[in-house]
Formats: sequence, C-alpha cells, structure tokens
Amino acid sequence: MSTEMTTRSVVLADAPARTARRSKRPPHGHSHLLRRESRGAWLLLSPYMIVLVIVGLIPIGYAVVTSMMRAPTPVDPTSGFGGFSSFVTVFTDYRFIQTFLNIFAVLIIWIPIMMIGIVGMSLLVHASPGRFGSTMRFLYYIPAALAGIANLMLWVYLLNPSQSPIQGFWNLLGLTSIKAVVASPGHLPFILTAMLFFQGTGTWIVIVNGGLNGISDEVLEAARLDGAGAWKLAWHVKIPLIRPWVGYAALMNVAYGFQLFLEPQLLDQVSSNAVADQWAPNQLAYAFAFSNFNFPAAAALSLVLLVITLAIGMVIVFRSGLFGDEEH
Amino acid sequence: MKTSTQHMARWVRAAGVVAVSASMIALAACSSGGGTGTTDASTQTDSGGKITVWVDPPRVPAAEAFKKAHPEIPIAINQIDGTVGNDQLKQQFAQFNQAGKGWPDAIFFPTNDSIAWAAGPQIHYTADLGKLLPDVVKGYATNSIEPCNIDGKIQCLRNDIAPDVFWYNKPFFEKNHYAVPTTWEDYADLAVRIKKEHPEMTSGFLGDAYAPDRYLWAANCATNDKINDTTVHININEPDCLRMKTLLTKVVDAKAVSTLGIFDADAAAVGKNIAMTPGAPWYGDYLFKQTWKIPAATMTATPALAWKGDSKPSAGDEGGGLWGVSSHIKGKELENTLTFATFVASDPAWQVELSTGLPAYGPVQDAWIAKQKQVDYFADPDATFSAMKGAIENVLPDHPYMLYITGGIWTQEAVPALVSGQGVDAAWAAFGKELTAKATSLGYTVKDSQ
Repeated sequence: MSTEMTTRSVVLADAPARTARRSKRPPHGHSHLLRRESRGAWLLLSPYMIVLVIVGLIPIGYAVVTSMMRAPTPVDPTSGFGGFSSFVTVFTDYRFIQTFLNIFAVLIIWIPIMMIGIVGMSLLVHASPGRFGSTMRFLYYIPAALAGIANLMLWVYLLNPSQSPIQGFWNLLGLTSIKAVVASPGHLPFILTAMLFFQGTGTWIVIVNGGLNGISDEVLEAARLDGAGAWKLAWHVKIPLIRPWVGYAALMNVAYGFQLFLEPQLLDQVSSNAVADQWAPNQLAYAFAFSNFNFPAAAALSLVLLVITLAIGMVIVFRSGLFGDEEH
Repeated sequence: MKTSTQHMARWVRAAGVVAVSASMIALAACSSGGGTGTTDASTQTDSGGKITVWVDPPRVPAAEAFKKAHPEIPIAINQIDGTVGNDQLKQQFAQFNQAGKGWPDAIFFPTNDSIAWAAGPQIHYTADLGKLLPDVVKGYATNSIEPCNIDGKIQCLRNDIAPDVFWYNKPFFEKNHYAVPTTWEDYADLAVRIKKEHPEMTSGFLGDAYAPDRYLWAANCATNDKINDTTVHININEPDCLRMKTLLTKVVDAKAVSTLGIFDADAAAVGKNIAMTPGAPWYGDYLFKQTWKIPAATMTATPALAWKGDSKPSAGDEGGGLWGVSSHIKGKELENTLTFATFVASDPAWQVELSTGLPAYGPVQDAWIAKQKQVDYFADPDATFSAMKGAIENVLPDHPYMLYITGGIWTQEAVPALVSGQGVDAAWAAFGKELTAKATSLGYTVKDSQ
C-alpha cells in the first residue's frame, strides 16, 4: 500500500496512535478517578452492550448450537446432534471455493480503485479552499445517499443497453441485452466494482476528510516553510498523517466485500436469473438455509464468515491506530 | 488536558473491537437462519373464515374474479414474484415452518418444480386434495393431473395444461412457400434457411427457464428421471440428449434462434419477428397477443414435432401452473379455501372468461376453446385449437418435478455461455455439471451422471 512507503521524517510531534499506546502508568493517587471513569464508561456503553447481546451474541450462540445439529434430508427427515458434520458439508460443498474466488476477484479489482479514489478525491477536496471544497465534498457525497435499492435501480438503468445513456459503450462491446451485460462470464466483478465505488466513495471521502481536517495548521505551515509544494505536502505530510483513516477505510471495505449479498442477488433478478444464485459466500449460506433447508450448514458457513470478518475487525482496531489513545 | 491510562486504553480498544465488529456480527449471524425443527402438520388453525391467497401477477385476475363471485368470503390477495425458476418461495416457506405459522391458505406456484418441496416431507405444506375435493379431481384427465400425484396423493390442482405445440407465422410461411416442419430435424434445417433468407426473423428462444422443457424434455433427455424418492438418473450426454444438442448447435451457430428468454424485457422486439417455435398453448394469447403484440391472423399452431422415424410427436410441457392448498388449516378457513380452490380450478368465470391457458379441468375446455375462437386472433383457429386439445398426449413421461429447478439451473449456467457467444458445447457442459452437483447437494443419489 502506498501509505506504507511514505517518508516518515516529517511526521511531527503529535503523530497518532502506535507510539502513544506505550504511555506511562498514572500516578498512584488517581485510582479513585479511574474507578469513576470506568463506571462512566460502562454507563455510556450499556445501551450498546444491550443491543450487542440481543442482535449479536444471542444469534451467534444460536448459530453455534444450530451448526452442531444434523440436517434432515429427503432420505432421512429426522434431525439431532451432528457434531462438526455441518462444517464438513460447508467446506466440501462444490460451490464453497468458487464463492470465495468470486469475492477475491471483486476485491482485487475494487479495493485498489476504491482506495486511490478515496485518498485522491479527499486530498483534492482538502486542497480546495473555501466554498468550492465544501461544495465538492457535498457533490461527492450525493451518490452515497442512493443506497441499496435506489443505487441498484440506477445501475439497472445504466446496464441495460436498450435504455442506457451509455448505450454506445455497450454496443461497442457487442452487448445488446442486460442479460449479456450482467451474465457474460467475467463481467460481474467489474460491474460490482463500479456499483460499490459509486455507492461507497462519498461516505469515505467525508471520513478521510475529517482526518485531513485534524492536521494542525502549524504542521502544514512548517512543511510549506520547508519548501513543500502542494504535491509534496500531500504525499509526504498529509497521507502519512491520515494513515489510520485510510487503513480503516481499506479494511472496512474488505470486510464489506466479504459480505456481498444484495448486489449479486438483485443483479440475478434483473438478468432473468442468469447469474449464479450462489455467487457469493453469503448467498451460499442463504442457499443452504432456504434451497437445501439445511440450517445447520447455513449456520456453520455464517460462523466461518463471522471468524473472517471478526479477524478483519481485530486488524482494524489493533493495527490501524485509529482506536489508539492519544496523549495531548 | 486529559490523562490516559493503560487500563482505559485497553478498554477503549476493546470497545473499538466491539464497535467495528458489531455490524459484521449482526449480518453474519442474521444469515444463519433458524433451527432445525419441523412443523407438526396436526396443529391446524382456523381463522374463522378469512383466507389468504398468494398468486403470481397473471393469476391476480383469478383471485379478483373469486372475490367478485364470492363476496361472502373475506379474502386477502397477496401478489408474489412470478419469475419462473427463482426459489424465493422456498425461503419463505422454510421460515413459516420454523415459525410454525404464516403459510398462505392457497397458493399458485409460479414454478411447477415448487410442488416437489411444497409436498415433500420437510415442508409438508400441501393438503391431499384427492380426499378433500374428490369431485374436482375427477374432472381432470389422468395425464393432466399427473404432476400433482405425489406419493399417491393429489397434492395440487392444475390450472391449465401447457403441452408444447408447434407455432408458426402463417402469412410469412405462405409468402415464402415454406413447408411447415413436422420433425425436429426439419425444424432445425428450416430455421437455418430462414435466417439466411430473412436475417431479421427468429425461430425460437433459448434463454428462459422453460427452454429445457421446450427442447431437452422433448428429446427425452435425462434431467428429471426420478428412480425413487432419493435417487435420480441424470445424464445429458446420452444419445437422446445429444440429438437435441446437435440440433441446437446447428441453430445457435447460425444465430437462427435467440439466446434471450421469452420473458426478457428485450424479447418483445425480437418476438415480433418470430417465424416459428415450439411452445405451449398459452404462448398464443399471453405471449404473442398480449406481451409481444403480434397482429391477429399471424400465428397458428400445429401438433408438436416428432423425431425423424418416430410415429408420434415428442414434446415437453411448459408450466401449466399448479394450485396448492395449505395442510395447516381446518374448519371454516379450510372450507372457504376449498371453495377458492374449486373456483380457480374449474369455474368458467375464471377458466373460460379470463384464463389465457387451455384449462386442465376437462369439463370447461370446450367452452374455453369456443370463447377463444370468438376472439378470432389466430391465423387458422381450427388447426390451432385442434393441435392444443390433443397435445397432452405428446408429452413424454418420466419427467416429474424435482427438488432442483432444472429451468433455474439452465438460466444460470447455460444462458451466460450462450449470450456471451461461447456456444452450445460450453453451455451444455456447464448445465450438466451444475445439474448433477445441485441434485447431489440436495441429497439425491445421482445415477449414471455421464
């Protein structure tokens, strides 16, 4: 990643995170204050913890129990304890590897484009002073407001050669029906990249821009005095300082990519069922539950996805530095 | 200025983990679905009269006609997705079985294959109508009610019959002095010739979920050859199948047939220029007249195509929808639902006046034909209706509906290869591979899978 390669020499005194984590123990006499802070933290977190238990931990527990059951089949409609057989069913399913390959194909194309887009456009917005910059930030954000179905409807319109404003482009590729555009082998990762980029970039520009706004004027001024132009300022000062936000954006997008469901599912419908029903791992879990009526296998695959996304979450928290405490 | 501590830092980080992971957990856990319980069919409920029926868009008029004919019966009509080959209904029924409630009282299955799971031991939705409505069941010819005969019980009522006939554009044929084909081989030869002489004309469609019924079933291809409840014979590379593969390769390579499906939004423009196609009786009114808006006195039907050397035509069956009644109801609710089922299966107010397909219920067939003749849409009505009436006899046997949806697998696997120009070989291989794999994943033992 480009941010890893940046020169760190100009990162000044208030550099975030990692180093700050090794802060000293507080003086002994502050233990009373600590207890109060701790109580306060629990109080503030309690509504969230309640929701977490209801929509997170209980379903996970339920999934763990379900995954240990044996699924009824047309041969044997009884069920009972099945040990790890559901996990075996999942790992040996003929679609399991393909669904992950499909996701990797999307991630390999989408994530680099997404990150260059986010960082590049954030820097442009930040470098544009006054009303112009804030107007651009707002304009970039508009597509993000077209979430979910609205975004899909827009894309159905764009992807359909018979009505699309980019009809010429599709004709140039020899594509005359939405089925050919969506379902031709190899097209889907590019279409999903376009959809996800369009839908997601605006939100992340706002977030990364928040990081850029946090850079103190003294730092930028010092760099300018050292002779840094706009390009050097962006490359050697701004990007290293927003590294935690960029890392956070990258990993959250990877996590989102692993959970793709809505987009391939709906593209399947607009192309008259010509996309594989089990294109992404989440769709495979859905198929286990509702095509095969194999809820234990669906639960097992959900747990596999949970482990992957939790691992990504851990990396975000412990490696990006965004959640590190800072000493002022 | 704030003082931080290691303790608080740990806490903040832990909260961070929780916060970042929360949405992922919720989403991942959501898809885990419910447990493994099955519903006891003996726990039947009675709403006291009100019934809920689920219908696909073309069957909404049936439910509305019932509402008008029986104002005394309170009814809620729920319109469902009518895409043939999709399996959303399965999901909803699996959830109803988990919850132990929520089933519709009666349903029109948009995909005929749905009867396999709806009547199967895991979902156990459909009631035995052979017992509940014996007089209605008696009105059906044996081979027209056959798809509903599961485990010796009549678990659905057929709305219409959809055995394929052969449709052709009469004025176009007459103008160009083409002979109407009677064999599959002649059909392929003529399709290629028409494409050469009239490049704008199309002689069939391959991209919809009915395409394997139209072509592979008619070749007696082993896609749905049920040996017993848990064993199926699938082999699309046996000689019977390969004769159709050769034929399709010929017409696809010549671009004589469209790789679109008959229901695709883009199909109407192509459909206007149809020269000929095998197809169900409902093509006439529903597809040619209402959807593609082909002018009157253009299309006409003859009996289905035969294979050269065979004395009898070989045809598949494209739908001919099925009505099911819930096994989870009793009392007044059941009584009203049976009134509904009787109405939609046999009442002329729907089956003669409004239905676009040839009724499966025998006693109303002649009235439907008489009514259709009055409309005077077909180029040769006498030949068309005569072909329709006898067509059920040409449907090849041993093709029951299974837990896997053959048409859905075709649209997912074969169609992308066809629309992207990879040809029939690639489409055939992808279709065969997925068909066997899907059947195996559903618990079938697949015999002789090539």
